[in-house]
Amino acid sequence: MLVPNGYAGKVVYIDLTKPEAKVVTTDRFFKDYNIDPRLWLGGDGFIAKVLWKDITKSIDPLSPENEVVIATGPWTGTAAPQSGRAMLGCVSPETTGYSSGSLGWYFPAMLKYAGYDVVIVRGKAAKPTYVFIDDDEITFHDASKLWGKETGETTKALRAACGERFDGEVRVLTIAPAAENLVLYSPPCGDGTSCPGRSGGGTVMASKNLKAIAVRGTGEIPIYDPKGLVDASYRAVKKFQEEEPTLKIWKEEGGTTDLSVTAQWPMTGHNLGVNRAKADVPHLRNAGCLNCHAPCYHWLQLKGGKYNGLRQLGGHMTYITTSLRNLGFEEFDDWIYYERLTQELGLDPASFSMAFSYAVDLFMKGILTTETTDGLVLRRADGELVWEVARRVAHRQGKFGNLLADGVAKMAKALGPEAEAIMPQTVKDKPSIQRDSKLQALMWSFGALTNPRGGDWLRVHNVWELAFLPENRDTYPKFIGMTNLELYKICTERLDMPIELKKKIFGDPPVTDANWVKNTNGKALFTVWTENFVALFNDLVTCMFGAATQFMMVGFGPTTYAENLNKVTGWGVTYDELMKVGERTLTLQRLFNYRNKGWDIKQDKFQDKAAYEPGTVGIYRNKIVPWEQILKEYYELRGWTPQGIPTKAKLHELKLDDAADELKLTV
Amino acid sequence: MENKEKTLVHDATICTGCMRCMTTCSTYNFGSTSFTKSRIQIVRHEGHALTRMDEVDELIFQPMICQQCDKPRCQEFCPAHAIDRNPKTNAMVINYDRCIGCRMCMAVCPFGAMRYDTKRHKVFKCELCEGDPQCVKLCPQEALQFLSKDVANSPKINALSQRLIEAQRSPEVEVKTNVGA
Repeated sequence: MLVPNGYAGKVVYIDLTKPEAKVVTTDRFFKDYNIDPRLWLGGDGFIAKVLWKDITKSIDPLSPENEVVIATGPWTGTAAPQSGRAMLGCVSPETTGYSSGSLGWYFPAMLKYAGYDVVIVRGKAAKPTYVFIDDDEITFHDASKLWGKETGETTKALRAACGERFDGEVRVLTIAPAAENLVLYSPPCGDGTSCPGRSGGGTVMASKNLKAIAVRGTGEIPIYDPKGLVDASYRAVKKFQEEEPTLKIWKEEGGTTDLSVTAQWPMTGHNLGVNRAKADVPHLRNAGCLNCHAPCYHWLQLKGGKYNGLRQLGGHMTYITTSLRNLGFEEFDDWIYYERLTQELGLDPASFSMAFSYAVDLFMKGILTTETTDGLVLRRADGELVWEVARRVAHRQGKFGNLLADGVAKMAKALGPEAEAIMPQTVKDKPSIQRDSKLQALMWSFGALTNPRGGDWLRVHNVWELAFLPENRDTYPKFIGMTNLELYKICTERLDMPIELKKKIFGDPPVTDANWVKNTNGKALFTVWTENFVALFNDLVTCMFGAATQFMMVGFGPTTYAENLNKVTGWGVTYDELMKVGERTLTLQRLFNYRNKGWDIKQDKFQDKAAYEPGTVGIYRNKIVPWEQILKEYYELRGWTPQGIPTKAKLHELKLDDAADELKLTV
Repeated sequence: MENKEKTLVHDATICTGCMRCMTTCSTYNFGSTSFTKSRIQIVRHEGHALTRMDEVDELIFQPMICQQCDKPRCQEFCPAHAIDRNPKTNAMVINYDRCIGCRMCMAVCPFGAMRYDTKRHKVFKCELCEGDPQCVKLCPQEALQFLSKDVANSPKINALSQRLIEAQRSPEVEVKTNVGA
């Protein structure tokens, strides 16, 4: 089999123990891992296949047995829209199960221009090391002097050390102090800009003594129908710009976040842009990853105040939400400093801020005292305190730094039943994004239950509920000059989903309104569709910040993906075929956790008690969410057993018979 | 519309540095996607990623584009007389029957607009896609435009004029116009 168009053509297996870089053709890689590229595409699909074959039992995530897999896809680096992304996967130090995260900016595309579709890192180096992939030449270098350095400084030093000939020629994926000190939730950071968040991949890199990977690529990616691709890409973006009602937020608000938060900043009730202007934070420009028409990076500068002059490229949803909800920040300055600081230290903003927030709750209950916090008096809305704690956690200083470095779930276990009783929303030992996320939106929380990488929201961040929260009714639609019903009417029509499926989810005829949002009808099915769809764009790999239902109300759907992908590869894939690719990937991730960890319905549970009590906010105020009922419906729709295990028939349908045989499934 | 005397114009204040012009150019004109084979080059100054938190940094996307000069040095110095103006599009184009790959044009171009293809052993440059520049068509922010040379400066004049107007306003008056960095 020839390597299809759209792939760079090579894969590198890096063994840090020897150290050795073995380069094989992508064709060979497909044979090694039994991959039909049309069934798996790349990204998360490739990572699932690699980890499935290489790691067949429960392992210590910080042992040399673990692997770091960086996988691009046929979309990456091409002229298709939003082509700047790759996935980074490993066994998670936080959950000990399957893990992966998406990263963008320019490292992934540069990796493909250097000729590589996938990088697999194994073993453990004898001393701190960085790897430089310079087109065909791959070399190992001593990184002892870089160990301990923060993200920006490391990136700068490595670009110089690699002999960069013009700005941006060398791209760097680096870890920071939090990873080096084995904080369990540290992601690496690409070019000091884009991190595969929630993956814990930085910690795994650190456990291998791998400080960074630098790459320079001057090559080309072969395209099946180049002019056709340019045309398809052009039409896709034009349509997006004409049809997507939320685009205004991205350009103008200087902060990328939940629609409800953007439209109504809690402290004043105004939208984010108004608040930013009041805070006198100049919004210098927008910037984006490769081929992005909806750039989500906001180039912000602080004028005056404690951090006068600080500039930050960001304004991202995770930071703004976590700083608002978990840290209690009200000042723009604090929010931006926090974003920059956690990037520099390599702290996952969600896991860190949830641990901090939980610690504050424990402190207020008297479960933590100044003795256990090494003298700190904990409270929210105190920037200086958060910076101090962040540094202690990143460097694992003292009792308190070490406690938070292990994350919410281990904190609860260490502190006993009283602490467990008030732990925030957590599934498979991974906390969600915000302490009061429960019941903000049903699918959002439900997606955390079934997510193979643990209880975070990013595999189902379905904004179709979030845009219509009863408490913020009409705030977002009003912001773009519509009513809720008008907004939902056009979005329901435009969403790239077969009409039969729309009828099953939204009713016949499909109607999205307050009744639909409040109800459970169609939610399990919409979650299944969304999960498959998310897995699909993580296979391609492209961005969630352009995808239907994921931050965008209309966005790109599988039809657009198929049109562009077919021009890249020449395959002729269909909507249904692509959605099956997503389902296949998600299913194999599920099986990986089942085979290696024994995870089934028992782990599809919230570890916090509050999730099973009547809600205090949102659509389930004073009501109990029927989680078991929705989960049962979800399993049935997925073709899984009541225990949450994919059936033999389902695996046959997905061409995963090998896995069914290996697991000796009889049902 | 008549393309004669039109040129590529880049507005750095709205460019988001997505490099779509480059992936489009290489794909459209070379049949494969890369940065090195793009005829338009955006050079990225990404200070933000390279500093400690206490250092001042910057983020600038600077294009290097062929200006289709009126008196092109590339043409003047080409020993093989391989560079001619396309009368229809006004673009300076390379005659590959004549190009000897000596790279003299690369040495003399003041904009770094000439590039070299190591496979064909010939130079290449922006030839304005037969009068329909794909980079302009696909720029999602409309930061790239294809304008007649006599009005090519108009977007810049407009942006600068607004700054002057702002400067003349008293501080009490709220300034609503944002013209970028």
